[in-house]
Amino acid sequence: MLLTSVVIIIREVLEAALLISILLSMCRQLSVSQAWFKWGVLAGLLGSVLYGSQMGRISQMWDGVGQELSDATIQVLIYFCLLYSCRKLLFHLHSPHSKDTVLLWVMAAAIALAVIREGSEIYIYLSAFQQSSESRMGLYSGSAIGLGIGFSFCALFYYWLLSFSSRRAVLLGCGLLTLVAGGMVLQGCKMLTQADWLPDGQTWDSSSLLPEDSLPGQLLYAMMGYEASPSPAQVAIYAAAILLMLASLLLSYWRGARSQSALTSDTE
Amino acid sequence: MRKTAIWWVYLMAIILLPAAALADKPVFNLEIREHLFSPSELRIPANTKIKLLVHNLDRTPEEFESYELNREKVILGGHKAVIFIGPLPPGDYPFFGEFNPKSAQGKIISE
Repeated sequence: MLLTSVVIIIREVLEAALLISILLSMCRQLSVSQAWFKWGVLAGLLGSVLYGSQMGRISQMWDGVGQELSDATIQVLIYFCLLYSCRKLLFHLHSPHSKDTVLLWVMAAAIALAVIREGSEIYIYLSAFQQSSESRMGLYSGSAIGLGIGFSFCALFYYWLLSFSSRRAVLLGCGLLTLVAGGMVLQGCKMLTQADWLPDGQTWDSSSLLPEDSLPGQLLYAMMGYEASPSPAQVAIYAAAILLMLASLLLSYWRGARSQSALTSDTE
Repeated sequence: MRKTAIWWVYLMAIILLPAAALADKPVFNLEIREHLFSPSELRIPANTKIKLLVHNLDRTPEEFESYELNREKVILGGHKAVIFIGPLPPGDYPFFGEFNPKSAQGKIISE
């Protein structure tokens, strides 16, 4: 029970916490307000309980694939929230100190959605198994250890990102969030395949090189949704999502740099 | 006019064919009882998409998970879940219950 809890909690916590630590460190670097963060987490925790407690009903919807469809919807929404946030944060790199309420809302939404997705599973797990007294001790201590490891890892990550200059940190953060957002799309496609909304198949199999259940495999899964044997549809949609985000971010960066140089030549 | 009619037929065929395909997928049943899968080995036809019905007879939830099949789904206690699998090339595809990984293990054999 102890070890199982540790593994389950780490797996769920890492994904959401990584996203939060990258966004937070970028805001810190750009002196964008970080106050939105606690509201995002709070909304996410409330949403987790609500989503988790309604999971039975949601699962029965759409001919029994409601869980897959709602999961995929959440993941695609996170992708678009991250795309928007990165664009705006890049803009802030060039014209700092402009107040942007929409950006704060979107970042809070990204965090809330990420917490709901992972938190609902933890809620289902904890609320079901805490009823038996013999497993309760292992369950709680395992969860505490899992939470501790997950959060420490992300705190380290947060400070590591703060050690760069702000320009580098924002570019690195945008790159990492592109991978995170792409991973969301990849996992969303996995859900749609499971629901038989997308065709299944195997493009390649890298499980002998890097098994999904190994430690690096799990870390890559948390970071970018690593899948050892993705289907062709998954790969195609993933590539399109990454390219769209990269193109959009490059365009935004280039525009920001141009408007900044126009601004400085005006003042001269 | 006639061209449009043909296009409409194409369009309807594209929309309706997957729905028709959906209807005749073979159904396989799997039960979870006392954190064990039964049967623990499920034989399915190779290269065919199947509809797996997992019935969780325990009071506690379980997460059906398989790295080889790329599937994961939470099944609440007393609930039945639909999971589409395949088409799979012949081979063994292990799966497990993430909430009870020591006991809840099984594999799908595609042949």
